[in-house]
Parts: sequence; structure tokens; C-alpha cells
Amino acid sequence: MTATQRVVKEVKAYHWFIKFMIFLVALGAAAAVTRFIFGLGATTNLDDTYPWGLWVSFDVVTAVPLAAGAFTLGAITHCFHIKKLEPLVRPAIVTGFLGYSLVCVGLLLDLGQPHKGWHVLRYWNLHSPMFEVSMCVMAYTTVLFLEFLSPVAEKFGWNIPLRILRWLEMPLVILAASISTLHQSSLGTFFLIAVDKLHNLWYNPLLPLLFYVSAICTGMCIIIVEATATHKWMGQPNEGPLLRTLAKILPWTLSLYIGLRIYSLVVLSERPLFDNGILTILFYTEFILGFVLPCCMFMFKDVRNSDTLRVTAALLVVCGLILNRFNVSMFGMMDASHVYYPSLIESLVTIGIITAHILFFVLIAKYFPIFEHHPETVDYSIPDSFGKINPDKPKGASQSEAVTSIS
Amino acid sequence: MTNHWIDIQHADVIVCIGSNPAENHPVSFKYVEKAMDNGAKLISVDPRYTRTSSKADIYAQLRPGTDIAFMGGLINYLLTNDLIQKEYVVHYTNAAFLVSEDFDFNDGLFSGYDPENFSYNKESWAYQLNDNGMPKRDDTLEHPRSVYQLMKKHYARYTPEKVCEITGTEIQSYMEVARTIASTHKADKVATVMYAMGTTQHTYGTQNVRSYAMLQLLLGNIGMAGGGINALRGESNVQGSTDYAILYHILPGYLKVPTYDNVNLAAYNEKWTPKTNDPQSANWWSNTPKYMTSLLKAYWGEAATEQNDFCYDYLPKRSGNYSYIRLMERLQNGGFEGMVFMGTNPIVGGPDVNAIASGMDKLKWLVAVDLWETESSVFWKRPGVDPKSIDTEVFLLPAASSVEKEGSISNSGRWTQWRYKAVNPPGHAESDAFIVHQWVTHLKKLYQEDGVFPEPIVDLAWNYGDGHEPDIDLVARECNGRFTRDVVIKGKAFKKGEQVPSFAYLQADGSTTSGNWLYCNSYTEEGNMMQRRGKEDPTGMGFYPNWAWCWPVNRRVLYNRASVDLQGRPWNPKKPIISWNSMTRKWEGDVPDGGWVPMNEDETKSPFIMIPEGYGRLFAAGLADGPLPEHYEPMESPVANAMTSQQCNPAVAIPGKINNSGKYPYVGTTYRVSEHWQAGAMTRNLPWLVELVPDMFVEISEELAESKSLKNGDMVTISSERGQIEARVLVTERIKPLRVQGKLVEQVGMPWHFGFNGLATGGTANTLTAAVGCANTTIPEFKAFLCNIEKGGINS
Amino acid sequence: MSANHNPKQNTFLIDLTKCTGCRGCQVACKQWNQLEAEETEFFSGEGYQNPPAMSEYTFTRIKFRDYQKNGENEFAFYKEMCMHCDDPACASVCPVGAFEKTPEGPVIYKADRCIGCRFCMVACPFGVPKYEWSKGLPLVRKCTGCYSRVKEGLKPACATACPTAIEYGPRDEMVKIAKERLANHPDKYIKKIYGLHEAGGTSVLYLTNLPFDELGFKDVTQRPLPDYTWQALRFVPASFLAVGGTLSALSWINHRRERLMNQNATSEQAHTPAEEKEE
Ligand SMILES: Nc1nc2c(c(=O)[nH]1)N[C@H]1C(S)=C(S)[C@@H](COP(=O)(O)OP(=O)(O)OC[C@H]3O[C@@H](n4cnc5c(=O)[nH]c(N)nc54)[C@H](O)[C@@H]3O)O[C@H]1N2
Ligand SMILES: Nc1nc2c(c(=O)[nH]1)N[C@H]1C(S)=C(S)[C@@H](COP(=O)(O)OP(=O)(O)OC[C@H]3O[C@@H](n4cnc5c(=O)[nH]c(N)nc54)[C@H](O)[C@@H]3O)O[C@H]1N2
Ligand code: SF4
Ligand code: SF4
Ligand code: SF4
Ligand code: SF4
Ligand code: SF4
Ligand SMILES: [Mo]
Repeated sequence: MTATQRVVKEVKAYHWFIKFMIFLVALGAAAAVTRFIFGLGATTNLDDTYPWGLWVSFDVVTAVPLAAGAFTLGAITHCFHIKKLEPLVRPAIVTGFLGYSLVCVGLLLDLGQPHKGWHVLRYWNLHSPMFEVSMCVMAYTTVLFLEFLSPVAEKFGWNIPLRILRWLEMPLVILAASISTLHQSSLGTFFLIAVDKLHNLWYNPLLPLLFYVSAICTGMCIIIVEATATHKWMGQPNEGPLLRTLAKILPWTLSLYIGLRIYSLVVLSERPLFDNGILTILFYTEFILGFVLPCCMFMFKDVRNSDTLRVTAALLVVCGLILNRFNVSMFGMMDASHVYYPSLIESLVTIGIITAHILFFVLIAKYFPIFEHHPETVDYSIPDSFGKINPDKPKGASQSEAVTSIS
Repeated sequence: MTNHWIDIQHADVIVCIGSNPAENHPVSFKYVEKAMDNGAKLISVDPRYTRTSSKADIYAQLRPGTDIAFMGGLINYLLTNDLIQKEYVVHYTNAAFLVSEDFDFNDGLFSGYDPENFSYNKESWAYQLNDNGMPKRDDTLEHPRSVYQLMKKHYARYTPEKVCEITGTEIQSYMEVARTIASTHKADKVATVMYAMGTTQHTYGTQNVRSYAMLQLLLGNIGMAGGGINALRGESNVQGSTDYAILYHILPGYLKVPTYDNVNLAAYNEKWTPKTNDPQSANWWSNTPKYMTSLLKAYWGEAATEQNDFCYDYLPKRSGNYSYIRLMERLQNGGFEGMVFMGTNPIVGGPDVNAIASGMDKLKWLVAVDLWETESSVFWKRPGVDPKSIDTEVFLLPAASSVEKEGSISNSGRWTQWRYKAVNPPGHAESDAFIVHQWVTHLKKLYQEDGVFPEPIVDLAWNYGDGHEPDIDLVARECNGRFTRDVVIKGKAFKKGEQVPSFAYLQADGSTTSGNWLYCNSYTEEGNMMQRRGKEDPTGMGFYPNWAWCWPVNRRVLYNRASVDLQGRPWNPKKPIISWNSMTRKWEGDVPDGGWVPMNEDETKSPFIMIPEGYGRLFAAGLADGPLPEHYEPMESPVANAMTSQQCNPAVAIPGKINNSGKYPYVGTTYRVSEHWQAGAMTRNLPWLVELVPDMFVEISEELAESKSLKNGDMVTISSERGQIEARVLVTERIKPLRVQGKLVEQVGMPWHFGFNGLATGGTANTLTAAVGCANTTIPEFKAFLCNIEKGGINS
Repeated sequence: MSANHNPKQNTFLIDLTKCTGCRGCQVACKQWNQLEAEETEFFSGEGYQNPPAMSEYTFTRIKFRDYQKNGENEFAFYKEMCMHCDDPACASVCPVGAFEKTPEGPVIYKADRCIGCRFCMVACPFGVPKYEWSKGLPLVRKCTGCYSRVKEGLKPACATACPTAIEYGPRDEMVKIAKERLANHPDKYIKKIYGLHEAGGTSVLYLTNLPFDELGFKDVTQRPLPDYTWQALRFVPASFLAVGGTLSALSWINHRRERLMNQNATSEQAHTPAEEKEE
């Protein structure tokens, strides 16, 4: 059997849903190709009054905080040393890495001159939040890549790199958190330039901080959602107890966010705030349903302890954040006389990217040991030897089985 | 223009009537705004609220074709309220002259009307003469037969109420206009009138202009800085073209074209040289014989001798009216074998174009000399005709554009400026001069071989060098003229071949040549004056005497001796054009209209030197349709004449294809937009301009739109007795229905730039217009006709 | 960043009371910059307005207003173009510094740098930069301020073509003329020089006799826009160090504590990986 045949056979064996996802990704890729052939004007609904659309709003502005799980969890686990969260870290890193890689893909599609993307490295403009974000995203993707290399190295048993990686782990985690702080908040800084354009409900000088804090909250919620989902659909063990810990932190961070948000609205924002019915509804939906309600929910032990309620609350936050990012980058910027909605191609690309994310995650989980259930066997603190890794244990075996079980 | 563009800045009141300078003469607006910066008031009188109106202090809307009523009311206002510049009026105009007892005006008709021929016997319009053969006058202006009193009586009928009932103007704005204009009756206040096609393109266009001139004379505004009556000339060199005889009835320098009964030069001179018995009248046209002879000498050179009447016989004599409309009628009657269109596009620009186009079908050949393929040069593929059915052979000669050749160009202010060639013409394009040169040299050769009456062609003095192109410098020298032999004139000796320094030295004895006496002084021994680029402005009045050259003899403001009082002191000392320096006993400032001493001294001459009697004419006996402007309705009008029972200008024959039955209820008018040029070939082929105004449109009021359920941009069909076109409606509050004699009249306006050929195409407005013209000039009545509008395109 | 008013930088003074809407400027701009004509139909707005907006093909455009006010007609014209801000938002946000405010006045664009992210378009408070939507690899386009002409001592093409409304010269002189006009004709003008303080000051100044908002002028902040982002961005190095430092410290402390705990635990042999009980 040739390699190709093997691959084909392997793919043929996939669950129909994975095949469907592959189809969606392929469709997205095809859509992306048309963008280059026919240009942005012909393939998107973007225009001069609305130069940033779905790709920026979702693929960049929203996807980045959605991928915030990695750095949040990394920092919590390693820096605050809440070690028991360790099993959640690797999936989070994979999610983060995939997320950021796809952000880069989205960005490249959105750029008019993707071949000149590297110019950011050559012509620095320190006054540009975009410069900052680009540098951070590049740096952070690299960091995530390095972090992601661990399971890869484990899988292939590359011990030397693994050792280096282990040794680098702590600095990487700290670097990741620092870089994330910058770019998560700088995504908010983007919109500080949109004075008189972004609606008062969202425009305020705290935007960067709000973006940052909400990214942290969402990072944690995403982990809850992800862990719950992998448990439910990918046969992973129930991480309920770990998630409960996270859920205990969440009321604090969410309250911080809510406090800042209220302060920014009441004290820092220009008036009028509620002059546009649709935006007012969007604001309340985002804020009340997306942040206040889940915050309250997380305060209850019953919620935290219930898998369903917990994931519901977490999902609310995730949706709240998504809506928030769309409100800031799209709805709040839109001129009533000129309504933008994404074109088919834009939508296909974004769907493709989202699907790719899930698909790659599933596939990576299938082939690499990312669900590491034996944190106690690993000393993450000081990578002084390999001794503590059990070389006999076939890495990722259980995971492969788990994944195949759904195919 | 009596004045010039830069001079507009000196006005206190600027009246844009029948013109839209912001759109059609954009650069003039620089000076309009300069005046406004200094406090001038701008008045716009136009059926539509235009881009000019948008800048105006006062906007008065009027129904197309009612300018005389509008002006008549203003004249009445000045006279009844005694808001005239009395001194000026008495001394510089014919107000004090007494008119024949036989003169009469009765229900729209002046005395001497001949209804058979639509013409007047003008004998009764003459002045009463004293024993010296000079007009009788009454300087108190009290005499009932004085021009002043006749005028007062005539215009007393034009009360503000009556006027506004005719014009549809709101009485408040009308009175505001009246008060503002009247404010310039003070000696040191001036108004200028900027007029153009909204004025002239009527069956009484000349009388429209006359009414403005009368107003200005009464206010003492002619000859003044910031005053005058200023025709905003159209085509960039149309001033030059008229100076150089583009019209059928004039020779260069506005000499009359001989008629069939001017059998020899003496008869011609006798007929066309005006006479006066007034020793105080300069009567400049008394020089006609000198100018004519010099012209003939320029035409036929050595061949023109005293013995052969300077070849006067070679000149064609006219026996009729060869104006545009008449020629086009003849074309339709199969009267021409071939035609040459040199820079013109008649089936877009002429009146009743369907008729013209059908006439062209009868041509054997057509030569079109143009920069572009125009509608007229591809008339055989116009919509609705089968090219196979047309046998005309068409030659399209590509012409060089204005920047691809050298020569002079005369602007509205009579400034003749030399243009240099900037680039070579593309492809096979050649200058018009080259093309004409080829024709002449070939014709000469052919006539030399054999021909009937070859001399006029063969003897033609055509000496413009041996280059590819005729040498334009030589042409310019010839236009100025030179001495044909050594002579002494006015104590000055001149050598044969020398350039004549000015028309004052032109002679009737064949010793001088001059291709155009008006331009004599433009190319002297000192060189080509038109090439000058001196930016000095010694008086600060904006004359720039060393910039280019201006006819006559570089005089920047015509009739400027009317800008001073009898002592020679400027009426407006703050803005003197000229002033008499009693120490040096010389005029200072602009080149004066003749160097004579001021009016209070002996040996003086009256300021209006081109008029035989020397005075500005409030009463003008020379026109075809009456000595005083009187309101008539346009040929097609939705209402009856409210002044008299004489509906239309009695001196214009009513043509066919006129429909006043009510079938076409709306008053139509045509105009230009900044973005397009004329018949459109020059702009409808340029993408940058097409982008701005891509489609034929018609401006209509919101009320009309509502009654026809039309939305902005909808397609409509506009029809008249002559034909129908499609256009998109531009619904705007800038056009309003007018209350005329108790009736609401809707008016619609459309640009006339579109045609079926080129990059941007659209309905030709002139499909709708009637081929009927002004009694004096036969300019077509493009500005007022009746039409109907229906929703949907022609085929819907 | 603070507004960098250079009194000698070239500035447009566009007096809309003197603008006749002739659009000579619009065409001159296309001619000088060799911009393609747009395909238009009828009119795209009030009056004779065309094309619908500034675009990759149209760097300046006359916006027409045709309306009634107090029973009077208003037919007004507003020449839209790049304002050549003293402190340009477009330049501040561009990740690759493709925009630059030149000392001569114009804000210029270096196409060879641009990556096409369109942040400048989002940032510009006047909506000036436009995108080559028609192209596969689009760049940004906007009024160049005719830098190539200005550098050589010529006036911009539009200012040269304009018969009436545009003055061009050093900013201080333009401001002086504008103030004189306001003083000489207080009844004519709206008492405001648009661009004097807008967005921190611009190299295009406007005077009008109609309220600016009626003409379609944007009511933009008087503060230089880059300030708004800079007030956040200036914290970048500090927050990087702060977060990095705090986390390092935290982890050092926590790891040390754990090591110590581990040592104790190993010695006591009593370590059981037990779930932490909630509350
Ligand atoms: N952009 C541009 N400029 C041009 C030209 C061009 O084609 N395009 N053509 C040139 C030429 S050849 C000429 S002759 C001039 C003509 O210049 P204008 O005479 O200014 O041109 P029009 O637009 O034909 O007419 C002027 C105004 O007269 C108004 N009008 C119509 N009927 C009447 C009326 O009965 N009374 C009064 N008072 N007003 C009336 C019209 O609404 C219009 O606004 O422009 C020259 N300049
Ligand atoms: N309804 C209506 N009709 C009108 C008017 C109106 O107001 N309303 N206005 C009238 C007026 S005022 C005028 S002046 C006429 C104008 O009517 P036309 O003279 O017929 O119109 P233009 O488009 O000016 O024609 C000039 C042609 O000359 C060509 N041309 C330009 N430069 C040169 C050159 O150097 N050499 C040669 N050989 N050709 C050249 C151009 O390409 C163009 O085709 O239209 C009249 N028609
Ligand atoms: S159309 Fe030509 S001549 Fe008339 S103002 Fe414009 S540039 Fe001058
Ligand atoms: S107007 Fe906009 S594009 Fe022009 S300089 Fe200012 S910010 Fe930049
Ligand atoms: S689109 Fe180009 S010029 Fe604009 S901000 Fe991005 S890189 Fe800079
Ligand atoms: S300055 Fe130059 S590029 Fe800018 S609008 Fe004027 S002509 Fe166009
Ligand atoms: S060229 Fe001048 S007057 Fe004409 S539209 Fe432009 S700014 Fe206004
Ligand atoms: Mo004309």
C-alpha cells in the first residue's frame, strides 16, 4: 500500500462529520482562491465606506480573544501554579496555535498585498496598534508553535528538542502572557482611532483594557466549553472538577470586566448613548446576556458544579464576547445609510476557517498526545531530566483510540 | 463686450440676465466674486436657479422669453421715480432728441407696419431735424415728442404688477432687483449687465439686448469701469470669428457685405457710409471707404487698382438672407449639391434638427473638417434611417485642435492673444489654415487652367510663404495692413511695405491695405502686439495695456469718453477709466475713444463715436422690429400676450411647425452645463467629462414630477411639434412652476449637448426647437418653445 | 503626539462661498493623476453630482447640495479631498508607515510599503483613503496633495484649475486670509474655519456660508487623532514589562513554594494527588 493509498484509506474511514468538515474547509479554500483571482471588490461586500468586514471582525478581532485560552490557562496554571489545571493546558495551546495560525490566514486573505506582509518587520511604525498587533501575533504564534511542538516532539520521541522545549516552557508561558496582554488590548486600541465613528456605547478610552479583561474571561470560558465538548463528543474524560476551579475564578474576572465596563460607560463615554434602538438592543444583549448573567450564574455553586449550567454560562460569555467584538468592529461602526453584510465568499471563507479550526483540532487530537492526563508524571517546573517521562508509555495511544471511536 | 472680463471687478451691481456665467464662463466669476468681495451685489435673472443664481444676492425667476417685460418694468421704475443719471442721459444719449410726429405705437405695432411682409417702413421713426439737418432736441426732456417722454409713455404700461403677471416673477424679488439696479443711477455707482444666449436666442433677441442697453444708458453706466453691456461671447474665438466676418452679412471689421444694388464701389460707399450734419459727431463709420478699399487691396493686392474699382466687382453681392435658418431651409429644398462643415455640428446645434438632417440626405457630398466624428458627419447612420438609402459621399478631414496650431484668439473683451503651438497634431490631422490653403492653391490652379470668371480666384493675393502651412505670422501682418507705396499721411512719412501703425492712417486711394481695419494696430513695425505679455497695470484699473492687444487701438473699455463729465472728470473718481489732465491737456488712463478735448470745449466730439449722431440710442430707428423694445410672446407660448393683442414679434414671419394649440403645455428652454461643450463632440468623447454628466436629462419642478408620478432619474419622452426625444428627469426645486396671468405654467429645461454619436449619447434637445429666428439677426429661438412630457421612453 | 502646525506648510483655503461647482478641479485632478473615469449613470446625488463618492478613481469630488431653506433655494458645492492633516490618523495607524506628512504640507503615500490592511481607511476621520477594490492585489489611493507638483514649486492641479474658490499657500497666510474674510463679511460667512482645529489642524481649510453639517462636513474631534491611540499605546512597553515581570515573580515564588512543599512532602512521603475540594 502506497502512502497515498494509506492516506485515502485513512480519510475514507473518517466519521461523516469530519468529511463534511473537510468539504467545508475545501470550499473555504476555494473561496479564498477566488478572492485572489477576482479581487476583494468583486468577492466581498467590502467597500470604501466599509473597509473592514467579517474577516476582520471575526477572523481577527474575535478569533484572537477566542484563542485566549492558551495564555490565560498557561499563566494561571504555571504562574499561579494551580497545577491541577495542567491537563487543560495542552488542548488550550493547540486551540490557541490553531486559532492564531488561522488568524494569520484570515489576515493574509484580507490584506491587499499579502506578499508584503513581512513589511511589518521592515518598516516599523511604533504608533500603529496594527504594527503592534502584527508583531505580537507573529511572536505569539511562534511561541504557541513552540509550545505546540511539545506534543509533537513527544509523539515522535524527539527527546532533545523536547528537553529544550521543557526548559523553555516557563519563559514561553510568561512571554505568551505578556505578548497576549499587549495584543489582546491593542485590538481594542485599533478602535480608539475611530473617534466619531464608533458609537459611544463602545467608544471609550478603556477599550484596550476592556478587550484585555474580556479576552481573559473568554479564554477561560472557551476552555470550559472545549473541555465539555471534548468530553461529550470526543470521549475525553470529564474534567468537571478542573473546570469548577476555573468557574470559581470567573466571577472575579467577569466582575472586574463588568465594573470597568460600567465605569467606562458612565464616566468615560461621550453622550448620547442610547440614541439608536438597534445598537441599544445589541449593547444590552451583549452586556447583560453575555457578561452580567453568566457572571451571576458563576457565582452559584450549583451552576459551577453542573456541567450543563457551567457550560451554558461559559457559552454565554463566549457569545457575549463575540457580540461585543462585532459590536465594536462592525455594528457600532456601521452607518445606518450603508449596511454591510458579508458576501457569500466572505462567509464561506470564515466558515471554512472556523471549520478548519475544529477539524485540525480533532485531527491533531487524533494523531498527537494533547490530552495529557498525567500531569503528576511530569515535572513542568524544572525540565532537568527525561527521567520522569515514562518512555514505555505509548504517547497519545489513548487519544487516537478516543478519536477513532467517533469516526 | 463694451468692457472686458477683468473690468467686472469694478461693478457695484452685477446683473446676470440670460446668462449663466458661473457655468458657461467660469473664469469670469473670478472677477464677479472680486467685485462681491468689495461689496457688489449679484443679481441673477433666469428661469432656472443655476450655479450662478446660487452665488447671487438676489435671484429673480422669470418665464423664458419675457426679458423685455422684465426690463420694461425696470425702465418704468427708473423713469417714474426719476432714478436716472440725468446729466449723462441729457448729454450723452438721444433722450432729448425729438422724434417725428408721425411716429406712433398702437396695440403692439409701431407706425409703418407692413403685415404682408412682416416688416416696417421706418420713415416715421426718424428724428425731427432742424434747418441744419441736425436732430431737434429739448434738453429739459419735457417735450412730448422727445425720446425721453415717448419712452416714459411707452414703459408706463409696464407696471410691476403687470410685469410680474407676464414674467411670473415674485413681486418682492422683482422690486428688490429694481431697487438694487436703480441704486446705480448715482454718478459714482455702476452696474454691469452680463448677458448671453438667454437674451439673444429669441425672436426678439436684439430687442432684449436693446432693453438692457437702454437701462444702462439711463443709469449712466455705459463707458464706465464696472459698467457697460457685456455679451459673454461663446465659442472661445467667436469674437474673432465675428470680427473676421463669420456672418453672412458682414465683411471683416463689420463692413457691410455689398448687396446686389451696390453696383460699384462708389454706390457701395454711398449706401453704407453713414452721414451726419452734426460737426460734433465723430461718426466713425464715415471712414467706411478707407476701410473698404484697404480690404480690397488686401484681398487682391497688386491687381486691385483705382482703375478697376480695387476689384470691387470680384466681391459677391448678396441678394437675400443667407442666415443659418435660411440656408438650412434651402438645404431641405435640395438647394445644395455639397456642403462643408468646418468645425460645426448642425444636426445637434441647429434648430429643428430632424429637418436639417433630412435635408442633408439630399447632398451629393459633404466635407466635414473636425477633431471628431460628429453626428453631422455620420448623419447617414442616425437612428431611424437606413444608411443604404443615402447617397451622400462624406469626406472627414481630421483637423488640428487649438493647441496644435499657432494663431490669435480674440476673447469677449476683444483682447486678441497670440497662442503658440504646444504639440503636433495627431495622425493625419492638419490645421484649418492648411486645409484652406490647399483648397485655395488648388482652386487657383484649376481656375488658371480654365474656369468661368477666374480672376477673383486667380488674382487673389495669397502670399503666405512656401512652408507646409501658410505662415500665420504673414496672415497676421496682412490683417493689420501695410503701405503699398511711399506716402505722407497726417504729416508722417511712410515707406512702401511698412506696417500701418493704426486705422487712422488707412486710405481710400489704394495706398494702404488692411485685412481688417479693426485689427489695424495689432501688428505694427514694432512687431506683433498680440504676442505681448507685459503684466504692468499702471493705473491699477486692470487694463494691462501691454498684455496682448485689444481692438480698437488697444482701447480696453469702449465709449470710455462717456465715463467722464463734460469737464472730462470721471463720474466715478475712485474708478477712473480716463480723465482729462487740464495741465498737459491730455487724457490719462485707458486709450480714449478719440483724443478730442472734453465736451465743454470746442472741437470736441460726442462720446458715442460709432453712432452717426454721436449719442447713445435710447430710441433706435435702425432695427427691424421697432425703435423701442416691446414685449411679445415667443412664437410658441402657453399664454396670450398680456400687453397687446399682437401675440408675437410682428417683424417675424410665422413659420410652419408651430403649435400653440395646448397639445404641448410646458414651456421648454435649452441651456448649457459647465461639463459639456456645445454640440458635444468635444466633451461627450472625453471620459472625464462623460463621467460628470453622462446622460441627457430634463430639469422639471417637483409639482410637475408629482402630477406625472415621476421620480428623479426616471426616463421620459419629451415631444414638440417638431419631434420627440428621451431624457432622464432631474426633479428639482430649483425649477418652479410660475404663476402667469393667473395660470400656473410649468417650465422644463434641458441641456442641448447630446446626440446619437460618441462616447456618451442621448436625445438631442434641438429635435424640439423651432427654426424661427430673431427679426434682426435670425438667431434661432432656442430658449422658448412648447413641449410635452410623458413618463417612459419613446418605445414604452 | 502633539499637533505639528508648521506655519509654512502649504495649505488649501477653499472658500465654498466662491465655489461655483464647475468641477474644473475634479477633472484637473484626474488629468494630473491620470485617473480613470468612472462609469456613471444620470446623477448620483443631488444636483449634478457625480461620481457617487471619492474612490480609487476619484481623489476629489464636488458634493452637490440642492435643497430649500427658509423657502429659498440652496445649491451648494463642497469640494471633498484629503485634508492633509497636521497629525494624520492614516499615518499613525499604518503598520508599515506608508503615509507621511511632508514638511511641504501634503500627506503622501508610499505604495511600495503598503500591505493593504485598510486600517488607514478606518482611521481617517474624513473617510479619505480609498481602496483599489477592482484589483486582485489592491493598494490604497487618495489625493496626493499633488506632491510632485508642490515639490517643484507648482500649485496642485486642482488649485491651478480653480477659477474662484481655492487659494494655496503657507498655512499662516491662508489662516490670515480666512480670518480677514470672516471679519470683512461677518454676515456672509459661518464664523468658523473648518480645518483650523479639526483633527488637530489640517492643511485644507474651508469657509462656507451654510452650516457645515448641511453641506456634509463631518463633525470631527479637535484633538489630533493619533493622540487617542497613543494614550493607550504608550503603555505598551510598561505593560509588557509589568505583566512579564509580575508573572515571572509569581511563578518564581510559586515554584519555589512548591519545591519547598515537594521537598517536605517527599520527606514525609505523604503526597497524594487529591482533588482540591471546593469550599
Ligand atoms: N461649459 C460650457 N461653456 C460654454 C458653452 C458650452 O457649451 N459649455 N458654450 C459657449 C457658447 S458658444 C455660448 S454662446 C455661451 C452661452 O452662454 P449662456 O448664455 O450663459 O448659456 P445658456 O446656458 O445657453 O443660457 C444661459 C441661461 O439663460 C437662461 N434662459 C433661458 N431662457 C431665458 C430667457 O428667456 N431669459 C433669460 N433671462 N434667461 C433665459 C437659461 O436658463 C440659462 O441658464 O456659453 C459659452 N460657454
Ligand atoms: N437648443 C440650443 N441650440 C443651440 C444653442 C442653445 O443655446 N440652445 N446655442 C447655439 C450657439 S450659441 C452656438 S455657438 C451653436 C454652436 O453650434 P456648433 O458650432 O455646431 O457646435 P460645436 O459643438 O461648438 O461645434 C464645433 C465643432 O468644431 C470642432 N472643432 C473644435 N476645434 C476645431 C478646430 O480647431 N478646427 C476644426 N475644423 N474643428 C474644430 C469640434 O470638435 C466641434 O465638433 O449652437 C447653437 N445651438
Ligand atoms: S471653458 Fe475654456 S475659455 Fe471658458 S473658462 Fe473654461 S478654460 Fe476658460
Ligand atoms: S484626511 Fe485622512 S487620509 Fe488625509 S491626511 Fe488626514 S487622516 Fe490622512
Ligand atoms: S492599507 Fe496600506 S497604507 Fe493603509 S494602513 Fe494598511 S498598510 Fe498602511
Ligand atoms: S491636490 Fe492634487 S491630487 Fe489632491 S485633489 Fe487636488 S489635484 Fe487631486
Ligand atoms: S474648480 Fe473651484 S469653483 Fe470649480 S468646483 Fe472646484 S473648487 Fe469649486
Ligand atoms: Mo454660442
